[in-house]
Amino acid sequence: MKKSLICLFALLIAVPAYAVDGNQLLKQIDRNLNPESYEMYRKIINVEPSGRKMEYTFFSVKKGIDKIAGVFLAPASEKGRGTLRLGDNMWLYVPNVGKPIRITSLQSVIGGVFNNADILNLDYTAEYDAEKVEEKENEYFLQAKAKTKTVAYDRLNLWADKSKKVPIKIECLTGAGMLIKTLYFKEVKDFGGGIVRPSVIETDSPLYKGYKSIMIFAKIKQRDFKDEVFTLTFMPNIESLRK
Amino acid sequence: MNRFSCIFVILLVLFISMSSIAEENPSQTPFGQAAETQTSAPASTAEEYKFDISEIEKKPYHVGGYVEFRPVLFVLDRDAALYKLTFYNRHEGKTVEAYNGKLQLEGSLEKGIARLFVKANFDLQYSYLGWEHSKPKSMIYEGYLSLKPSSSLSFNFGKQTLLWGKGYAFNPVAFVSRPKDPDDPELALEGFIMASADYIKSFSGPLKTLSITPVILPVYDHINDDFGKINKVNVAGKIYFLLYDTDIDLIGLTGGSKTNRFGIDFSRNITTNLEIHGEFAFINNQKNRVIDSQGNISESKFDAKSYLLGIRYLTPWDTTVIFEYYRNGTGFTHLEMKDYFTFIDRGYDAFLLNGNDSMLRKAASVTEGNYGRPNAMQDYLYLRVTQKEPFNILYFTPGITTIMNLDDGSFQISPELLYTGFTNWEFRLKGTALVGQKGTDFGEKPSDYRVELRVRYYF
Repeated sequence: MKKSLICLFALLIAVPAYAVDGNQLLKQIDRNLNPESYEMYRKIINVEPSGRKMEYTFFSVKKGIDKIAGVFLAPASEKGRGTLRLGDNMWLYVPNVGKPIRITSLQSVIGGVFNNADILNLDYTAEYDAEKVEEKENEYFLQAKAKTKTVAYDRLNLWADKSKKVPIKIECLTGAGMLIKTLYFKEVKDFGGGIVRPSVIETDSPLYKGYKSIMIFAKIKQRDFKDEVFTLTFMPNIESLRK
Repeated sequence: MNRFSCIFVILLVLFISMSSIAEENPSQTPFGQAAETQTSAPASTAEEYKFDISEIEKKPYHVGGYVEFRPVLFVLDRDAALYKLTFYNRHEGKTVEAYNGKLQLEGSLEKGIARLFVKANFDLQYSYLGWEHSKPKSMIYEGYLSLKPSSSLSFNFGKQTLLWGKGYAFNPVAFVSRPKDPDDPELALEGFIMASADYIKSFSGPLKTLSITPVILPVYDHINDDFGKINKVNVAGKIYFLLYDTDIDLIGLTGGSKTNRFGIDFSRNITTNLEIHGEFAFINNQKNRVIDSQGNISESKFDAKSYLLGIRYLTPWDTTVIFEYYRNGTGFTHLEMKDYFTFIDRGYDAFLLNGNDSMLRKAASVTEGNYGRPNAMQDYLYLRVTQKEPFNILYFTPGITTIMNLDDGSFQISPELLYTGFTNWEFRLKGTALVGQKGTDFGEKPSDYRVELRVRYYF
């Protein structure tokens, strides 16, 4: 009897170490990266092998799990280009064209290694199911699978900081396990309002050897928006949401 | 031609510099090739880049735009009917050049719920006709006051460009805008003076969005007088639904400046990389002025049905394909077009014989806005294929576009090279060949070939 109780106690201690709920962890990572509804500014930098770079400034707003809209503020050639994502639907508004056109998650409105799905990224839990989690000394290793075929990457390999529960590195893979790109999360920063997260994401891809893209975050703030903001009709006015 | 030699030297230098970028990256991996896994992080470069908060400070005003230089070389087709109509009393040789300059300026001023927006466009051209520039009346493309009491309601008053429809090259339901040039569908268009509003409502469920856009478009002497009959107040409207992940618009125009017309369009993603779209327009009592080969002009009146079906497809290796079929119910038949070209040929022969250009002037009178409008016949196919960043050359997009007239088998084909790798600069080299037999749409255009370079600087 005594032995049984010791065994049971040992099991109770041991089980939590292996019972990290992958989806719960993914949800925590989502919330640590951003509030569910927010506004944020990003600078996206494409770096060529020669060192030459192009910079873009992007303002975006998000509501709930599947609504995100944004507009480019710079450079002048891109200013006013608006993007909208409602779940799997994505549109691009080009001021000269004057009307939104449907685009796909795999395209890139600015060129470079980041595609539209990276720029208009939804919560990971909205698109992926955790399949396996391994707990290591200082990090978690989580493997996730896309919920539907419409998601940009079929699989993710995610390494997360154990204490902060934010990503350190994410590999984006095809269904066959081919690496499409790697995202490196760096320079954890306090953005205020309880948001402490990496302020820089670097990415490279074996498909674009020598090229690199960098996303720098600024002014991430919880903010609520009406649903009407996330509509085609509102797209030409996204910039009016800036304060 | 020497000036064009200079342009080609500039282009050569540009592409050599681009090639050198590619050479610095010899181990390019084509999309689809098995890639090795990278496990080590790259050296951090983020610290080299600063994101200064002052860069994103909101200002109440904005001024921007672009300047453009676009030289064009036309290789003329001296047997073509439209060459004869344009050049019958001139001797320009086998080629003509045109040097086009453009300044597009935008400005906005925002205060509270109000925003004032102006887009002005100034064109300057030097060609065989000498110097020409935009008419002052057409220089303001847009200029309107916008009031936005809430995110679901807005009002706009002034000159606006409302581009309705889902088609890329053609928009049969664009009832309140000027026709697009299918050869360059992304060019800004001059608007009309109107009052419009947008009311948006979002829902949860299969119907995600509903928006209503009513428009009042007055037509008087000096106000929108090129829209249609004057002394009329026209009413137009668009109701948009996002229903079951499909964009749907119901569109209408009535009021007398143009005959009543109604339309519907849709757009939907079938998969992440395949989109389909379509438009249908019904135009009541459409009038066409038809000239026969003897020069008799008659007017026909009929109810026209125009429609468009198209797809946009992105391949795994980043090739974008846009394909559209356009049925222009207001267009001329092959026989009507042939009669028009035959009459021009007869007029040209008469001019050569006795110097009398009255027949050619008569042909010119039915050309403007009638036979001379873009895609004036009935059945067209449009195909555009662009390849994003081939050989890993960032910001480089070569493409090829063809517009084919299915009624007579004639077509134009335009390869192009686009490079946007220098901040705020855009370079496009485009060639066009127009192919078709005698009496066909593209075969009777004034030129056989044209080559143009477009250089834009945004500020």
